[in-house]
This record gives sequence, structure tokens and C-alpha cells, in this order.
Amino acid sequence: MSPAAILQARGVTRRFGGLVALDHIDLDIPRGIVQSVIGPNGSGKTTLINALSGASPADAGSIQLDSREISGLKPHRIAQLGLARTFQNIRLFANLNVLENVKVAAGCRSAESLFGIVTGNRNHRRTETAIDEAAREALHTVGLIHRADDAADQLPYAQQRLLEIARAIATKPRILLLDEPAAGMNMTESLALLETISRLKSTGITVLLVEHNVRFVMDISDRVAVLDFGKKIADGSPAEVQSNALVIEAYLGRRRRHA
Amino acid sequence: MRISPYLALVAAGALSIPLLTHDNYVIQLLNIAILNAIVVLGLNYTTGWTGQINFGQAAFYGLGAYSTALATKFGLPWIAASFSAILVVALASLVLGLPTLRLRTHYLAMTTIGFAEIVRLIIVHWEPVTGGTSGLRDIPGIDLLGWHPQGQIQHYYIMIAVLALAVVVAARIRHSTVGRAMIATKDSEIAAEQSGVDTLRMKLLAFMIGAIYAGIAGCLYASSIRFISPDSFSGTQAVFLMTMLIVGGMGSIPGCVAGALALTILPEALRFLGQWYLVLYGLGVIGIIALLPGGLASVISVRKLRWGHPQ
Amino acid sequence: MGQLIVNGLALGSIYALVALGLLMIFNTVQIVNFAQGQLLMLGAFIGISSAVTQELPIAIAWIVTMAAMALIGIVFMVLVYLPLRGRSPFLVILTTISMGIVLENLALIIWGPLPVSLPSPVHGAPLRFAGVVISMHQAFTFATLIVVLTLQFLLLTRTRFGILMQATAQDLRTARLVGIPVQRTIAVAFASGAVLSGIAGLLVAPTYLAEPTMGGSLGLKAFVVSVIGGFGSLPGAVIGGLSLGLIETFGARYISSNFRDAYAFIIMIGVLIAWPRGLFGEKTSEKV
Repeated sequence: MSPAAILQARGVTRRFGGLVALDHIDLDIPRGIVQSVIGPNGSGKTTLINALSGASPADAGSIQLDSREISGLKPHRIAQLGLARTFQNIRLFANLNVLENVKVAAGCRSAESLFGIVTGNRNHRRTETAIDEAAREALHTVGLIHRADDAADQLPYAQQRLLEIARAIATKPRILLLDEPAAGMNMTESLALLETISRLKSTGITVLLVEHNVRFVMDISDRVAVLDFGKKIADGSPAEVQSNALVIEAYLGRRRRHA
Repeated sequence: MRISPYLALVAAGALSIPLLTHDNYVIQLLNIAILNAIVVLGLNYTTGWTGQINFGQAAFYGLGAYSTALATKFGLPWIAASFSAILVVALASLVLGLPTLRLRTHYLAMTTIGFAEIVRLIIVHWEPVTGGTSGLRDIPGIDLLGWHPQGQIQHYYIMIAVLALAVVVAARIRHSTVGRAMIATKDSEIAAEQSGVDTLRMKLLAFMIGAIYAGIAGCLYASSIRFISPDSFSGTQAVFLMTMLIVGGMGSIPGCVAGALALTILPEALRFLGQWYLVLYGLGVIGIIALLPGGLASVISVRKLRWGHPQ
Repeated sequence: MGQLIVNGLALGSIYALVALGLLMIFNTVQIVNFAQGQLLMLGAFIGISSAVTQELPIAIAWIVTMAAMALIGIVFMVLVYLPLRGRSPFLVILTTISMGIVLENLALIIWGPLPVSLPSPVHGAPLRFAGVVISMHQAFTFATLIVVLTLQFLLLTRTRFGILMQATAQDLRTARLVGIPVQRTIAVAFASGAVLSGIAGLLVAPTYLAEPTMGGSLGLKAFVVSVIGGFGSLPGAVIGGLSLGLIETFGARYISSNFRDAYAFIIMIGVLIAWPRGLFGEKTSEKV
């Protein structure tokens, strides 16, 4: 494998009954880039994220994060090792406020003893301060710091998506998987999101961006992979993918016909 | 930790109650209400924060009481007896908690009901040891390094102290990595996992802490009332504990205490209703669930009472 | 031995009937009714009021009971199901438990705490083969189970209602959109679920007597049966019910009769530890 690849997937396969949702997917994501995965509805994009993150593990195949095999690990271990994700259908913690939502993730590697928590000793106070700072920083990055004390489920839709991203980056990931982060956003919000993603990239986080909307990803992506019916049909620079005949037929062409 | 004026008021009120009434019946009722509050605070870890339905809480309460009673009757010093009782309850919570971690909704409800029923049957039928349905009498009282509290009022202050401790511990845990991870586990297990939370560990931890709260309350129950019988820890009692949590407001610490106090004292005040009381009780719970999903805590804004809330 | 099998199957038939009632409601609205046992108790007492207090002929008493139970099922739906649509399963469970408390205490007020008996609808000398005695009531119980099972099977697989029920269970909103009378389908499910429990009550009372507190453990056992047999499966409910009846009868005879009520729970906990969603699983699956 190329030493620069932060995430390497080989032969990742996922079946639901008779349906093959992912069919031997290979993917190499070089460190520090924005890699997009596009494809029509039902092509297996979310299934791929679920398989990579361990939420709904692959039936076969190998997944390596920084040369370490992570397939078969529990999702929280994968998160602690540096792979974070957001959800297409937003999953915030409704009984926690905005800041606490992020704090859950910011505390993912701090092992606190119950004794320390109950007595409120120095070690505990130090940990809490560190978590608080990390969580506020993550909120700052996505521009939600002014909502820190609000209830998470009272945020407008677009801000809930941003909170998902803040929560994910608070785990200090090496790679961040974004599952259709722009869904339901208007033009201004989408543009702001693109800016946030490039900011994340500039801080050294590798981003895997799953999108339905092709135009949205073309400018920001360094590489684009295309899924169709669970198979990877193309992978390359945005320009290469856009001119790929298979892609035009399977995805862009079909869209045009529908439009 | 910031102490709000509201809290100081509540504490002062609680401490001065024995000055206002010397009616032993009233104090005894309050003592039981306080013990229920401790048990419900424990249930709040499991059900209120981590979202696991637990109808085994009354069984843990009973296990704590019976273990204390048997150990002190056997001649163990009170401190040693209470520690061993709490240990028994913690082990029992592991026995029930470990294999049931992956169960959900009605399956978990039924398993905990089944566990409680098995514990009850053992208590009822292991007569030579547990006294069967007639229970155990003349249980030795509390012995705190040679101090033997006498009368309801001294016991009242002990209960209040333990309740205060239970509340402080709950508030500290609530605003720590553990408390947030528990609530995250309830709100979305998968999102919690992907945020690095070991949800199975959180569930088990909540289950154990909750059981230990019940064990402590059971220990105090046995050593202060000095008589126990299976009825006090039945499946019906488990349902009542659950309704205290719901009526008070799941997840809210003051809600737990308020719910437990209200629903322990109310039946006594409404005794004249006889059997109709339970009919109205059931309908009342259904009404509250349907109309007030957040419980009492959502009506009276008790947010300001939250302890140690970092601002 | 043979006698124990007959007695176990007779007891098991009653568990199966309650479980079949549970299934009617579960299969339509995915709600586990923790008050199913209290519905059984109501059936037994309405039967006793009609046949013993009002001295109606037993056949008429049965019809009166079934009609009353259908009505009670619909009232139950209005009070318990309608206000809680779409709420967390935990709250629905607690609501049905509270409803059980209401019904049990209403029964205590109306009928008092003492156990009472109901005559069996059948009389005559018991059947005997090879030293095994089958009372007419036991035979009638088996026959009732077979009739109910056949009717329910036909209802679910051969009628329009069965299809409506399945559609409602799978996707309530879509079912409503395509014009299925969702409300009426659910009402029929609750009514028939209550009637099935009522029949079980009418069958229990002649052998085991009826008392207002009888519902709790019977309802829980219907649940255990559903776990053993697989939630929502018709043959599963019957096989689970009969097995539980046998297990309890044999356990009481050969292990300990004190712990007769514990066997059900021990087996259920064992099954759930091995298969967290029941022996045959539920059809519903969770989306990530």
C-alpha cells in the first residue's frame, strides 16, 4: 500500500439478504485530501460509511486505518483510533445541550475514575477543563459557539448538521466521514459548509465526503469515487471522473434524463 | 460547586421538619419517602439516563434489606454487614446486567420482571432463612461506631444525610464524562458509539450504580424499620418506583426526589379513597404519560435547582 | 406420566390462548400489552356475573362475555393506544402496566377479593384411556384452542382484514395514504385480542377459580410464551404455550412446586440471553 494512504479498504462487501449492497469495494484515501464518494440513491454510499465506521460492519474485506486493521472492531474503538463520522439522518443527543453534545465526543479518550468524578479531585477538574476547551473549539470551528447553551434539538436544521460535524471533529479524528452533510441546506448554507470543509482540510484532517449532489463536490474534492449498484465504477480526479463514459452513463446521464 | 439560594431553602426546610412535628407517624412516612427517593435516584441512572427499562430495582432494594438483616442477625458488626449487603447487591446487578446488556424494550422489561419474580419466590419459599411471607423481625439497628440512633427523628437525619450524599454524587456524575456518555447512550446508541462512547460499559455501569443506590436504601430500611417482608419489595413496588421516576421527570435529579416524595406521601393522604386510590393512581399515571412527557420537572421549572451546573 | 401430559397441555392451551390475544395486538401495532392478563381476569368475572349472579344459561353467558370483551378492547385502544401513538416503547409499556393496575383494582371494588368459580359449559363423565383421565372441561379447552387457532389462521391469511392488518403493521403511514381504514383495523385487532383473553378467562375459571389478582402472572406468562415461540408467530404461540404448560406441570411434579412460577422466567431469560430478539426474532429491523 502507498505509505501516504490513511484509509485503505480492500474487498469490502456487505449483503442484505440476497441484495449485495457493497460489492468488493477497494478504496485508498491519501492523507490530507478531500475524497468524495458519489453515486445515485441506493448505490451503497451510506452502507459504505456504515461499514468503514463499524456501525454496520462489512461481511468481508479488510479496512486499515493508518496501517492498522479496524474491521471487526467496535464502533467506539474505531472512533477512539481516529475515524469519526456524521449521519445523513441527523442523530444528536436530544437530552443534552449543544455544548454537551460535543463534550461527549471530546471526552472519548479520557479515562476518568468514578472516584475522581465523585470527589471532584484535581485530575478530574483538569480533564473537565480540557474537554470543555476542546468542545468549545470544535463549536467555534463550525461557527456554533454562540449556541453552546441551547438545547440541541431546538437548533434549525442546517445548524444541527453543523453540530454533527462539530461533534465528529471533537474526537480529534485523523479521518472524518461526512454523510451528505449538505442535505436540506440552502445555497448560502452549503457554501459556508464548503468553506468549513476546506478549513478542516487545512488543519490536516482527511475528509471522506459522501454526496448525492455531484456539483457540490466537484470543486472541493481532490479525488472522486463513483458507486453504482454497490460497485465502484470510477475513481480519480474530478476531471477524470467527469469525463468517464461509465460514470456519465450510470450516473450523470441518468440524472440528465430525469431532469 | 455553586449552591443556589433555592437549594439552601430546600435544605433548611428539610432539616427543620422535625422541629415542626413530633408525630412519629409523619416522620416515619418521611423516612420511607426519603429511602424511596434514594432508590429512584438509582433507577434514574439506569432508566432516566441510560434508557434501560428496569423493573428489577425493587428486587435490588429487597436484596440489600435482606442481606443486611441476615448479616446483622448473624452477628456481623453493622458497618461490615452493610458493606457486605452492598457487595451482594452489586454482584447481583452484574449477574442480571451482564447477560441482558443487548436486550431492548419489552424484552428487557420482561427479563427484569422475571429476575424480580425469581428473587421474590426465593425470599417467599426459603422460609428457614428469610422467614417466608411473614418476613424477618427484630433486626439489629444501626450502629455507627458505637452510636445507636434512637427514635424516628435521629433516623430522619441519617436518611437526609444519605439522600444529600446520593444527590451530590448523582449531580457530579451527571456533569462528567460518565453522565454525558450515559445520556448519549440513551438518546442514540449508534451516535454515542461513533463518538467514542463504550455504550455497553455505560449501560452496565449505570445498572450497577443504580443497584448500589437501591442496596444502600435497603440496608437503611432494614436497620431503621427493623422489620422486613417480601411485600415491601414486590413487583408492584417496582412499578411504583418506575412511576415515581416518570411522574417526577426522567433524568432530572430534583424530579426524582420530588416524584418519590409526592408518590410516597400521596397514598397516605388519600387513604380515605380505599381501593379507588389505586384506580386513580393508574389513571393518573396514564394521564401524566400522555399529557406531560417530561413529568413534574417540566412543569415547575426546577432547572435552577441543578447542582454543580458549570456556568 | 400420561396424566401429567394431559394436565400440562390443558394448562398450556390457556397460555396459548392469551398469547394469541397478545399476538393480535402486537402484529397490528407492535405494542406489547402488559395488561393482557387483566383482560383475561375481566373475561372470567364477566362470565361469572352473567352465569352465576344473573343466572343466565352458560352459553348465553359466554356470548355476553365475548361481546363485553370486544367493547372493552376498543375502550382499551382509545385509552391506551391512541394517546401514545409514536411515543417510546417504554412509555407504552408503562401505560399498559398502569392500565393493568386500574383494571385489577376496579375488579377488586366490583367483585371483592375472594376467589369464585364458574361452571364449565360442558358436563359429563371424563374420558379415559389407558389410565389417563381427560375431563370434559379439558377436552373442551383443547377443542376451543383448535377452533380459535383455525379461525384466527383463516382470518389472518384468507380475509381482507388479514391483509389490512399486515399492511398496517408494516407501514402505518403508507397504509393510511393508500386508503386502508387504519383506525378500524386497529380497533378490530384490539377487540379480538381482548375477546381471546376473555375466552381464556372463561376456560380458566372453572378449574383454577377466578380472583382479581390472577391476571398479573398469567399475562406475564403469555409474554414468556411469545418469547419462546417467537413474537408474532401463530404456530409459535401455540407451541410455546403448550410447552410452557408441560414444563410447569412437570417441573412442579419433579422439581419443586414452590417454584412453579419461576420456570417460565428462567426459560425466558435463558432464551433471551442466547437470542436477544426471541427464538425466531422479530421481523422489524433497525436502520442505522
